[in-house]
Amino acid sequence: MRAFLIKRIFQMLLALIGVSIVVFALMHLVPGDPVRVALGTRFDQDLYDSLRADLGLDRPLAQQYVSWLGGALTGDLGVSFRNGQPVTQLILERLPATITLAMAALFIALLVALPAGIISAVRSGTGLDYAVSAASQIGISLPDFWAGVMYILLFSLTLGWFPSSGYTQIGDGIGEWIRHIILPAMTVGLISGSIITRFVRSAVLEALNQHYVITARAKGLSEWQVVRRHVLPNAWIPIVTVVGLQLGFLLGGVVVVEVIFAWPGLGRLALTAVKDRDFTVLQGSVLYIAFMFLVINLLVDVIYARLDPRVRVS
Amino acid sequence: MTAKMRWSIIILMIACTFTAFAGGRGESTKTDDAATAVEMSDTSILIAAQGSEPDQLDPHKTSAYASFQVLENVYDTLVQPAEDLSMEPALAESWEISDDNLTWTFMLRDGVRFHNGRELVAEDVVYSFQRVIDEGLNGWRFGAVESMSAPDDSTVVISLKQPSPNLLVSIAGFKGMAIVPREIVENGSIGTNPVGTGPFRFVSRSPDEGIVLEKNPDYWRADEGFPKLEGIRFVQIPDAGTKLTALRTGEVHWIDAVPPQDIESLAAESGITVGRVPGGDYHYFALNQNRAPFDDARVRRALAMAIDRDVIAEAAQFGAATANQTAIPASNAAWYFDYAPYRAADVDGAKALLEQAGVSDLSIQFLVTSDFPETVTQAQVIAAQLAAIGVTVEINDVDFSTWLDLQGKGEFDAFILSWIGNIDPDDFYYAQHHSTGGFNFQGYANSEVDRLLDAGRVETDQAARRALYDQAAKLIVDDASYIYLYNPDNINAWRGDVQGYATRGDNAIRFVEASLQ
Repeated sequence: MRAFLIKRIFQMLLALIGVSIVVFALMHLVPGDPVRVALGTRFDQDLYDSLRADLGLDRPLAQQYVSWLGGALTGDLGVSFRNGQPVTQLILERLPATITLAMAALFIALLVALPAGIISAVRSGTGLDYAVSAASQIGISLPDFWAGVMYILLFSLTLGWFPSSGYTQIGDGIGEWIRHIILPAMTVGLISGSIITRFVRSAVLEALNQHYVITARAKGLSEWQVVRRHVLPNAWIPIVTVVGLQLGFLLGGVVVVEVIFAWPGLGRLALTAVKDRDFTVLQGSVLYIAFMFLVINLLVDVIYARLDPRVRVS
Repeated sequence: MTAKMRWSIIILMIACTFTAFAGGRGESTKTDDAATAVEMSDTSILIAAQGSEPDQLDPHKTSAYASFQVLENVYDTLVQPAEDLSMEPALAESWEISDDNLTWTFMLRDGVRFHNGRELVAEDVVYSFQRVIDEGLNGWRFGAVESMSAPDDSTVVISLKQPSPNLLVSIAGFKGMAIVPREIVENGSIGTNPVGTGPFRFVSRSPDEGIVLEKNPDYWRADEGFPKLEGIRFVQIPDAGTKLTALRTGEVHWIDAVPPQDIESLAAESGITVGRVPGGDYHYFALNQNRAPFDDARVRRALAMAIDRDVIAEAAQFGAATANQTAIPASNAAWYFDYAPYRAADVDGAKALLEQAGVSDLSIQFLVTSDFPETVTQAQVIAAQLAAIGVTVEINDVDFSTWLDLQGKGEFDAFILSWIGNIDPDDFYYAQHHSTGGFNFQGYANSEVDRLLDAGRVETDQAARRALYDQAAKLIVDDASYIYLYNPDNINAWRGDVQGYATRGDNAIRFVEASLQ
């Protein structure tokens, strides 16, 4: 297990460096730069050149990258061109909002997907199965920007149940926290849930067709006991994979939903950074997002090994 | 097995959440104070929703309007634009101009204090202006200034190289010329923790709470009872639809720009006021005069003739704008020049001019940006209108960073943009149309216009100065250096419980006299 972990962590670092090179190169390939944006309509060539020099943007790209990487390795991701604040601080400030939204959305997704997927597999071919499939198809097809706006119109404007925007920390009162998080979490969670439902259904269906399930039934176990003891343990691996992927996406910030609900998460930070060509902030955010993905992948692999002894052996 | 799996996931979730909170909490301790401040006296804290995110809070370095919405309420300038855009006393109570028009002496108000408690002295004014010059962004505003001095604590003397009739607008027309205390520059906190003399003190900024300001009880208008509010919280709501909903449900008291298509329905709602005044901004398009055939004034004039400005204004602003063939709006009575040589949608006239210039099968690429969505709509309408004279328009829609880059490199046939917040005719014409102007990306050079604009900078007789700018504007319009489209209205909206606030012609957001009933 230790050798496995060391190997995976080493691969992770390589992937992170690769990601950072790609992001760095792409950012400098597209037209536009932060100094030009900061000057806006008051453009002056001398001022522009001197500001670029102050920020070190006039140095060769390779040199800029190496000095950034050197900082990153010691935990210093540089300062934002846009507002002069340290990138690490900007990211850390937005983590609570991002992570609570991801967790709340995943909670809603699993709350919907696990029962719906299992029931529709067990009752495969019945009206219930078709109803679940249709519902999840609709859930996947509804774009988040539309669903979010509809929830605001219904639950904020018409019914007045929940606020349309903003974020409060859990520490400032759990009631307010729930009122603020529920609409964005529902927007993201129902879409994620629809995707996960389909995976749960097919994983459970496949396990249901195995010979040991016939044996279990032959032993006279109730259908629920068969599902709980023999089907689910074998269906977990594909489910964990897709849940891990969904969590990875959610932790990277959900840009559209964050914009609609004015949610102060990483997605909006990264979006503003792209618009203003705030190179350091974008690089820092992407590095964080890639890191989250890799960590979750690693955890998923570890969970595989826990779930299935054959993974450990190989 | 399932039990183990469940535990792994639960532990992962707890670990992630915990890490996040540990990190987040440590970094934003100020948030807690802010939250408490807001809760303490929630009833007189005004919540203002901004459509975009302020960048830094250093008034001398930022060019972001969202930052100025906040800083307007934190800082003061030497003098300031009144509601009719004439200049009125602010930190300077009065001023005198020498007979040769070269020396301006400003007398500062007594007993004005910065938010850190220190008294404002004349040296702060000189220091701030010197910093503006050194920082560069607005240094050009001091082009006429020879030297500045503070002979005593309450007197500022500005000596000029040449008479400068628009000096007040140049050095105090907006909060980019704010008077700041030296100490926050030297300790590096000016970008994150502004300290001014204005009606509100900066408390905190965080992604959760937005920007929190509290009442400055020592404000120099305190004896008039201003400011009335206990504080202001600026929140950022990027989606226009959500921002409107937040106003309708009472989550916020005030919102900045209202999408033009929503003005009518919003104004009809009870309990909501839509403030709408003719603005000083103008929208225009410019043709690249370094590229043939746009170097031919006849071609540019043909395009200026072929379009119908009213239709463009209706489509892009839902009518919340006034078509104008020059830059300065009618509401700026001191400088408005009533000149409209082009008949709307004059297809025959335009075709004849193109024929004279020997141009056929003309195709123009318009550089526009979805970051200012009205530019896209304008280009679409212009495309349809130019089709009538056989001109093909290709729309190149890019993000604003790319737009600025392409414009700076001269890689465009035509671009569409707007200018905001100008007051003096020098602001409207010099940078844009003088052959050495900093924003003359279209490459316009007319020695007569240069002469008039240079003369306008030093002419102290108001009537004579106005005549100079009228002549310059006529040439600029006739040469179609810019093809002006319209002046949009400035629009804010607020809930009925907000009193004492008014939308302004210069788009400055001032809450000093506002209160919540």
